[in-house]
This record gives sequence, C-alpha cells and structure tokens, in this order.
Amino acid sequence: MSVVVIGLSHRSAPVELRERFAFAGEKIPDALRTLREKLASEAVILSTCNRVEIYAVTPLAPEAAFAELKQFLVQHHAYDGALGDEVYAFAEPQSLHHLFKVASGLDSMVIGETEIFGQLKDAYELAFTHQHTGARLNKAFQRAFNVAKHIRTATNIQRGSVSVMSAAVELAEKIFNSLAEHEVLVIGAGETSEKTARALLSRGARGVVVTNRSPERAAALAADLGGRAVPFAQWPDEFALIDIAISSTAAPQPILDRATLEPLMKRRRHRPLLLIDIAVPRDIDPAVSELDNVYLYNVDDLQSIADDYLNLRREEVARCEKIIADKVAVLLAANKFSIPAGRTDPAC
Amino acid sequence: MVFYGWSTIYSVFLWRKGFRRDDWVNYLLLVCGVALHTLAMTKRGLTLQSCPVNNLYEATTFLLWALGLACLVYSLLPRFKFLCAFTSPVLFTVGVFALMPSLDPPHGPQPEFSGALRSLHAATILQSYGAFGLAAVAAGMFLMQRHDLKAHKLRAMLSLLPSIQRLELITFRLVAAGFVLLTIGLAAGSQLPRPEGKPYFSDAKVIWSALLWLVYLEALVAYKFFGRPSRRFALGIIIAFVFLLLTFWITNLYSGLHN
Repeated sequence: MSVVVIGLSHRSAPVELRERFAFAGEKIPDALRTLREKLASEAVILSTCNRVEIYAVTPLAPEAAFAELKQFLVQHHAYDGALGDEVYAFAEPQSLHHLFKVASGLDSMVIGETEIFGQLKDAYELAFTHQHTGARLNKAFQRAFNVAKHIRTATNIQRGSVSVMSAAVELAEKIFNSLAEHEVLVIGAGETSEKTARALLSRGARGVVVTNRSPERAAALAADLGGRAVPFAQWPDEFALIDIAISSTAAPQPILDRATLEPLMKRRRHRPLLLIDIAVPRDIDPAVSELDNVYLYNVDDLQSIADDYLNLRREEVARCEKIIADKVAVLLAANKFSIPAGRTDPAC
Repeated sequence: MVFYGWSTIYSVFLWRKGFRRDDWVNYLLLVCGVALHTLAMTKRGLTLQSCPVNNLYEATTFLLWALGLACLVYSLLPRFKFLCAFTSPVLFTVGVFALMPSLDPPHGPQPEFSGALRSLHAATILQSYGAFGLAAVAAGMFLMQRHDLKAHKLRAMLSLLPSIQRLELITFRLVAAGFVLLTIGLAAGSQLPRPEGKPYFSDAKVIWSALLWLVYLEALVAYKFFGRPSRRFALGIIIAFVFLLLTFWITNLYSGLHN
C-alpha cells in the first residue's frame, strides 16, 4: 500500500473548474467515509480556493487508484464534462514530495505563504478526528508539517512582505521602534488605504485618524477601524500627532507638497514621518522626501518591495526542493513506511 | 588584535551580504578579543599595581577595551548584534595604531603618577571616549539605514538592523552616558595636584578636553531641546569622535600635565 494523491490546483485548472470540484467543509467527513468504503484504507481531503486534493492510502496499483479516485471526484460532484490535464495524480515518492511542497507553501500561488499550512493541518485533523487516517498518512502528514517548519526557519522562503499592505507595515517597523506609540492618518477612504491601516492596527499601531472629502464616509470608516474622523480641511493639523500617513484621494494634483510639510515637520520637532502614497495620480509631491526624517513611499515603491521579496523567495525554491527531496528519501528509507498502526497526535 | 582583525574581515562579508541573518559569529570573535584584551590589561595593571592608564598605549588600549565591552553589552539588545560589525574595524585600526612602540615608553616598576583619584580621572574619561565611540558606531548604523530607507533600497528591508528610531535613541543615550562620564572624569582631574603656578587652562590637553566637553554638550542640548534633526545629530557625533581619535594623541604629547 502506498500514498497517492489526485487533485486540481491553480497550476492545472481555472477557478471555474476548481470551484466545481470544491468540497464543502461539512460534507468532507461523508466524502471520506465513501472513499474508505470504496477504495482507500486512509484518506484526507484538502479543499481550498486554490486546490482540491485527495490523499489516500490504497491497496490498488497506482494507475488503478488514479482512475478510481478520478471517478470518485467526477461522481461526487456530478461533473459531466471532460477532464484531462486539469487533474494531476502522483504515486510515491512524488505524492510525498508533493505533500511536503504543499505544506511548505512551495506549490502555492504566492510562494512561501503560510495559510496553506493551516488549511492542510485542518484537513488532516478533520480526517484524523473522524478516524479516516492511519499509520501511513499520520506519519506522512506529521513529517510534512515538520518539514514545513524546518523550511520556514532554515530558508528565506517565507521572508518578507509580498503584498503592498504588508510591505507598508514592514516599512513602518523599520522606521519606528514600536508601532504602539504611533498613530496613523488615513487621507481618503479607499480600499487599499483601509486595508493598510488595518494591517498597521493589527501590528499594534496606537490608533487611526480618518479624513475624507465625504465626512460620512470618513466617519463610517473611522468607526469601522475604531478611530476618529476629522474634517478634510483639518488634516494638516493632525500632523503634529500622527507618525504614519496613508494617502489615497482622487485629487488630480498633489495635496501635500514640500512647502506645506516643512513647517509641519518643525511642529513635529523633526520626528520621523512615514508617508505612504497609494493614490494615482500621486497625492504627495516627491520633493517632500528631501526633508529630513520624511520617508515617502508610493504604490510603485511598495509593489517593487513586494516583487523583490517574491523574487528572493523564488531563488530559495531550489534550496527548499533539496530539503524536501532529502526528507522524502529519509521517510521512505525508514523501514519503507511500515509503521505500526496506531493513533498519533496530530498536533506537532 | 588577531581576533579584532578576524572580526573586521568577517564584518566585511556581513556588510556585503546586507546583514540578513542574526549573527553570533562576529559577537563570539569579539568576546574572544575582549576577553584576551581584559586579561592583558589585568596583567599589566597587576604588574604596575594601578589602573593601566599611564601612557598613550595604555590609554588607547583602555579606550578600546571600554568600547569593545560596551559593544558586547549593547549587542545583547534585540537586533543589535550587528553593532559588532561596525565596531570591530574601529577596534582593529586604532588597536594596530596603539601597538606603535613609541606610544609605550618603558617606565620603572611603578608609574610616576598613581593614586585612586588619578585612576578615576583617567578611567572615567577613557570610558567616556568608549561610549562616544560606540555612539558614533550607532550613528553610522543610523545613517546607513536612513540612507537605504530614503533611497528605497531593498537592503533596508532585508537587513536585520534595528529600526532607525531605536538607533537614534541608543546614539543619544550613549552620548549622554559618555558625557556624564567625561564630566566626572574632568571633575576628578580638577582635584588633582598640579605644578606650582601652572593654571589648568594653559595645558593643551585640558583645553582640548574642555572643548570636547562643550562639543558634546552642544550636541546633546541642540538635539534634545532645540529639535536638531537626527541626521545632523548623527553626523555631528561621528565627526566629534573622529576628531577625538585624531587629536587625542597629539594633545597628549603637547600636554605638560599629562606627560
């Protein structure tokens, strides 16, 4: 008996097809039971927005197992279309290699992301709780979680921010000692500025001040973020109090230039000021960055940081693949996976 | 000196790699260097039966010891391990200079001048120089990180250096600590007996020390109470320490009281 995997992911299938094969969380235990009754001695179903995968231990030969599992997928979802390369299938050792890659975020849309680790763990724990896993899958999944943790600490695969919002937060942490002492001003209640403010608040920023040409919109967002709203005409007065400003208005001209900011910096006694300009056209005149203690980043700068981090992560993939290959070899070499049956604690 | 040299070479590699990993190797190299430094100074102190600060060589090595020790202590703060990479080049270059034989002329079994007050005077002043040196190192780190952040360099994000606000705070605190030590040292020196009819302020070293005291006082007051921008403060601290290093020996040589 060996571990096999069959599935569809963002790499092989479009979202229209992936959503056809997605398993609703509450229906997974029933699907697992059916699988075990028909063709597998152990099974785990992973269903996320980017992938649907079945991990199974089956006495069937790999080719026969793939055909049966594919048939199960089609029948379970009452799919009547044709399926070709959209579905991938692996037998050992590739199946274990794939599992380790998924757990480590190497197969994710954003390389190195950690959300999949939690999703995989939830999928495994669901199967484990309903007693659909046995010695082989327990061992394989626990090893996968350990490998993912090892890769996280030993490589730079999860290093850095790969979104504009998280890049802004990381930037703030490079400038300020602790975000808990600093307030954020949101100028213009756009979606990205709201998300960035939320990200800063989640990292401990002291509070948020919102201003917008529409006072109602400002008040609504301020209430939503647990901050306070100020009239649009008064936002320069807030510069004495805040240390991070996120601007995303639809103004055709810059709303903050050097001549305006210079006296405000004196009032701030030259405390560091992080300006995040995510508006297009830009809200903040680039000349303000010539002022001492002013750090200005626009949306391209933040995107560039995120892209650079992503490239760094890509450079780390080869190292991670090497670690995974070694760990799979060790796992397979350890008595060819013949582990005594028994429950193993899923928490690792 | 060998360990300081290795640490300097290792620092070059850390610099080139952009300070991406929290680094203990350089710290351990400096621990070895400072431990041997301490041992050598202790042996010399025991031989002389006084604090080894009696000539230019001893004064310089004491200064470097204070700088190295302060660096090791501050490096224990989160993300401050790379302070060692900025300090070791100073320790190595100044240390090599201190090895010049003319700085350590032979003297008898006991130095001509000794006593607790003299030791306090010399030791606190040299410790203050160490604090100023470390402040200059932190100011250098601040300026580098500030420049990288201003220029939107990825290195600023990837490096594990502390935030610039923290570097600024540490620089200020080190200067303040150094200033207090310098004040104590100068006050102790003013209580020392001097040759008949020789006013203190006719001595080159005393004038230089008073000037140094004023320079650091001005830097602290301007920064703390008059909002001097961080960059100018950091630059001032670096320039003041470079001035200190370059003129320390010269003023000693021209000082009647200190020769």
